[in-house]
Amino acid sequence: MAREKFQTLTEPMFYTLLTLREECCGTDIMTRVSALTHGRVDLGPGTLYNLLDSFQQAGMIRETSVSGRKRSYLITDKGRETLRAEYLRLLALTEDYKTCAGEEDLK
Amino acid sequence: MKNVTYRWNTFQLYDYRGVEEHLSAMAAQGWRLEKASGSLWKYRRAEPASLRYAVTYNAGASRFEPGPTEGEQSLEELCAAAGWEKVSGCSKMQIYSTEDPAAVPLETDEALRLENIHRCMRKSFLPGNIAVLLLMLFIGRDFFLALVTWDLYGMLKNNALLTAGVLCLAEAALQLCLLAGYFLWRRRSRRSVEEGGTCLPAGRWSRWASLGMWVLLVLLVAAFLLSELDRGHRGAVLYFAVYMAFFTLINILMRGTTALLRKKGASKTSNIAWTLAVDVVLCFTLIGGLIWSRYETDWFSDERPTGETYEYRDQNWDVSPRQDFPLTLAELTGEEYGHVRREAEDLGSVFIPQRAYRETALLGDGPKVCGLGYTLWDLSSPALQESLLEDLLEDDPIKFRSMTLFTLRYVPEDPVPWGAEAAYRRYYDEDPGDSWLLVWPGRTASVSPDAEPSDAQKALISARLAPEDWKEETT
Repeated sequence: MAREKFQTLTEPMFYTLLTLREECCGTDIMTRVSALTHGRVDLGPGTLYNLLDSFQQAGMIRETSVSGRKRSYLITDKGRETLRAEYLRLLALTEDYKTCAGEEDLK
Repeated sequence: MKNVTYRWNTFQLYDYRGVEEHLSAMAAQGWRLEKASGSLWKYRRAEPASLRYAVTYNAGASRFEPGPTEGEQSLEELCAAAGWEKVSGCSKMQIYSTEDPAAVPLETDEALRLENIHRCMRKSFLPGNIAVLLLMLFIGRDFFLALVTWDLYGMLKNNALLTAGVLCLAEAALQLCLLAGYFLWRRRSRRSVEEGGTCLPAGRWSRWASLGMWVLLVLLVAAFLLSELDRGHRGAVLYFAVYMAFFTLINILMRGTTALLRKKGASKTSNIAWTLAVDVVLCFTLIGGLIWSRYETDWFSDERPTGETYEYRDQNWDVSPRQDFPLTLAELTGEEYGHVRREAEDLGSVFIPQRAYRETALLGDGPKVCGLGYTLWDLSSPALQESLLEDLLEDDPIKFRSMTLFTLRYVPEDPVPWGAEAAYRRYYDEDPGDSWLLVWPGRTASVSPDAEPSDAQKALISARLAPEDWKEETT
């Protein structure tokens, strides 16, 4: 069965929303995500463009300014909720891991 | 040395990998994509280079937009920041290239890529494919019905119907395969992405299938035209040529209209509306005019080799009536006629040869005329002959405004006087007419004299129209 959209977030989704807690444009998002993850997560421009479009349609981000071809965005309350829900889900996963595998597996 | 070359685009919209590999290979050979629009892609000569190409999709892109949409501009901006330069756009497919081997790929989320491709496919490819499929089923409905009911005569009776039917069948099959191929690719790719992999290669089969369709089209059309020319149907060939010329012209003018309106900065809605209006007007005038002229003028009539004629009593008569008729009025009636006109025509198809003969003569000094018509079908296959008979012997209700005036039907009668294996007489409801259907092994004849023939005349008809091996067997 198809997964409901944005019920869980992929890494590019998660980091895009996380970055948009501060207003920034697409180019900044790519740079910041790469810096934040130390190059572990790279956001392709095609992926980012479609993500921004989808997030905007879902009301999770909003466009704040347009300067020439440059567009800036900011997360909305709905986006924050989704991001927080994902954080809690990841936390629950971590807790479950700790319960089952114990701290020693991490050493 | 030419600096520009063109390649036929046979890639499916979702086959981004095929496009990327193809463009990189072309760049390595010294050809760089300049413009990817429609079916012909244009390449310009350049230094051979190791160039990375990448395809992304923009569901908002349209060839009716006056320029790059805001979305396209934003995408271009993002791509430029990542080191990718836009090469061209083809429908919703956006093609970029870079010389930087370390540039971040355009797409880094396979699930999102798959979803985006499907969005684009739903917007353009799938409705188009389904429309073509339905159109093919509609145009080829007579052929398909004959195929489903295994009506051999219905399928093979006419060259044009057969050619169009086979083409419609092939095109419908191709569209079905393309649709099934896409959904199969999507399902397999989704599974692969869910398992952490990437979207799968689309495979080369769809490209070969599209190419095969073009080859089939060319071969069938060539076979049809040659067959029509061979039978002297130059009018049909001319009609087909003009039809195709008009079709091409309409296509060019439509694309020209779209391009001109884009240049003039017309909005997408206005561009679509005007292009559609131009299409309707052109179709109505050119194709409609062509169809009208076929029925209302003799521009596409075949020049029949009737030879020299003269006019007498407001009718044309042959100066030297053709002598290749197997049976003439004079032979049948024993009368001499001063004014005679004879016409013969090849009908049917390469599989069902059908030759029709018609002779008209002036009775005495006129004005009354008499006539004799007969049609011969030579079919070596018993199955084909059986199918032909089934068709000919079927009751044929003649209607006027959905009211049946009378029913034409054939009633069996004694074949012995006709020297045939089977004989049928045509009736108008209960009234006998002067047409007979005669059947011999390998040959069927429909004969229409002006009056019921005597037994001697029936024997003469049989002697002239029956196949030679039948006559040898029975004598």
